Amino acid sequence: MSEAAVICVDIGSTWTKGAIFRHDEDRFSLVKRASVTTTTDHLPDAFYGVLNQLEPKRDWSEEGRVPLYFSSSAKGGLRVAVVGLVPEMSLHIARLAAFSAGARVVASFPYRLTRSSVAEIERSQPDILLLCGGTDGGNERYVTENAQVIAASDFGGTIVYAGNNLATDAVADALANRKLVVCENLMPEYGKLNTEPVRNAIRTVFLDSIVTGKGLSEIVARFGVSPVPTPLAVFNLVQAMGEHLEDWQNFAVIDLGGATTDFYSFSEAWFPESDAIIKGIIEPKVKRTVEGDLGMRISAESAFISGGDYLRTALGDEGVLSLQDYVHRLLQNPAHLPTDPKEIEFDRHLAGACIHHALLRHAGTVEEVFTTKGPVLVQAGKDLRRIDKIIGTGGYLAACARNQQSVLIGDQMPEAAEKVPLVPQSFSYFADRDYLLPFIGCLAKDFPKQAALTAVDYLVQSGDQVQIPSPTLCKGGHFL
Amino acid sequence: MRPKNIVLGVIGFDCHSVGNKILETFFTEAGFKVHNLGVMVSQEEFINAAIETNSKAIMVSSLYGHGEIDCAGLRERCIEKGLDDILLYVGGNLVVGKTPFAQVEEKFLKMGYDRVFGPDCSLEHVAELLHQDLLSREEKED
Ligand code: B12
Repeated sequence: MSEAAVICVDIGSTWTKGAIFRHDEDRFSLVKRASVTTTTDHLPDAFYGVLNQLEPKRDWSEEGRVPLYFSSSAKGGLRVAVVGLVPEMSLHIARLAAFSAGARVVASFPYRLTRSSVAEIERSQPDILLLCGGTDGGNERYVTENAQVIAASDFGGTIVYAGNNLATDAVADALANRKLVVCENLMPEYGKLNTEPVRNAIRTVFLDSIVTGKGLSEIVARFGVSPVPTPLAVFNLVQAMGEHLEDWQNFAVIDLGGATTDFYSFSEAWFPESDAIIKGIIEPKVKRTVEGDLGMRISAESAFISGGDYLRTALGDEGVLSLQDYVHRLLQNPAHLPTDPKEIEFDRHLAGACIHHALLRHAGTVEEVFTTKGPVLVQAGKDLRRIDKIIGTGGYLAACARNQQSVLIGDQMPEAAEKVPLVPQSFSYFADRDYLLPFIGCLAKDFPKQAALTAVDYLVQSGDQVQIPSPTLCKGGHFL
Repeated sequence: MRPKNIVLGVIGFDCHSVGNKILETFFTEAGFKVHNLGVMVSQEEFINAAIETNSKAIMVSSLYGHGEIDCAGLRERCIEKGLDDILLYVGGNLVVGKTPFAQVEEKFLKMGYDRVFGPDCSLEHVAELLHQDLLSREEKED
């Protein structure tokens, strides 16, 4: 390996992949890549397997610095449960914060924890429980009582407390025998977001305890670098692209996987010129959401259920029955790849359903309300209408690009309705054909601009500009 | 003593913002921690804010004449959300036209508001009443 090169490794739940990049002046270029099956019982085995493929002649046990970065989503990734107060406020902000730290939210509960919600937390075994609620100086009762309930539960992971500062002592007393990390309130003032401290706290917990729990400390010790959760690598890259590339000011990334569909957006959440008044919080410019029920394989069945109406429109009743059959076969064999044109078509529609719902759940809505002053537009959530580029990544979408299969994005948007989804109106589609974004994402923290340029180098624009049949307000409202 | 939290806002689709700013400044100076939601605030938003901020009083303004429709049901909604004992104050130009104030007051008291004020009320007096009302609620709790 030449001096000016870096190695990136991503440990996924099924594959451990690696790549060598040459580090040129202003960007990176791919030299070689490798992949082996992830060794779940001992993750470093596959890690070294990949390194050996990348550089067969090298003795990795030798001391010596290697420029190396790695990410991991193995063993369930970073699993977080969220306990907040008001669903649209502190709980919503906590979920956004957890997503933006690269976590998967496995359970979330507002107000007071009930016996059944505690059981749900114990059952889903999150790595971290994020407890919040109350503005600084605001409500203390809920977080204090919830802390007591958690103290009496069998939850064994780390608790991150990011609620009312005045309740900190009561929470700390209640959780005296637990692993507890206290950070700044994620909503210090009503409606005001303060998510950076929580993101940092989650990252610290990930490095201090979860990395060891997942058997990654051996790698950390040898190479002197810490892993990032894979989705955080992609999040960092999205941020870097938006901050460093003029042409990428309003874009989204869809990461369609076997178990989840992740949606990232870079765009202002609300435009004062849009004439809409905003209800609830103004969401962050860089936003990630994760849909645990939408995926191509492990989550194929739940995607089939969630995508019911979408799939019925696309395939008809008979088509849906055959798809159901296919989905059942996928459950038996999640590694299945389509073998004939019919199965390829099934996958295409399953993907369409996942993308459709992930997009609609990520996007906000606008509704027209009549007042004495005339009609008023009321927006909730994030306005994605200015997004003009969408990137598709993940194994399936990368393969679609390699095989020149088209992807269904934004077809079948809901007809005129009371609440209109604020989805992109017209965009170009780019594919991460070689599935490099997680690697490049690993480089985004240290080399933001170079990583951003590199990502664009490897994206391929496919298909024509896509036009979403723009949903209109039911009462003939006005858009920008 | 810590300043007491109160929630303030103009209800419904009312966008008269001048009085709202005055009320925010006034009650802040009178020793309250004011969580001002601004104009065009829904009942839901008043309640969510009161829960997160642990406010024991909600100050509702209505200026544009639709107060009756906008304000109805807030008390019931508060009870439903567990804010059993919260103080509800309402003020402004609460109804259209020149209805005698006593009649207006009666209407809003019936809706469950604790105190009702017209546009020319003395804010010093309001602050005094608010301090007293909050105190007596606290005593009741202990
Ligand atoms: C400026 C103004 C506007 C501006 C508002 C600009 C802005 N950003 O605020 C504009 C032009 C946008 C406007 C629009 C309308 N307006 Co206008 N407007 C006024 C005006 C002239 C002054 C309001 C003002 O700022 N007053 C000064 C502040 C300091 O006083 P205040 O708002 O009353 O608030 C004080 C008290 O009421 C009290 N108070 C208020 N709330 C509370 C709550 C509590 C708990 C307490 C204790 C006290 C309290 O304390 C406040 C501070 O001292 C009034 C007439 C008037 N002279 O009041 C009409 C007036 C309020 N408007 C009126 C109307 C009808 C309208 C429109 C419906 C007209 C229309 N068809 O377009 C629209 C409504 C738009 C909407 N969706 O809200 C009517 C309301 C009639 C009624 N209630 O019966 C009024 C009274 C004029 C009139 N006499 O007809 N308006």
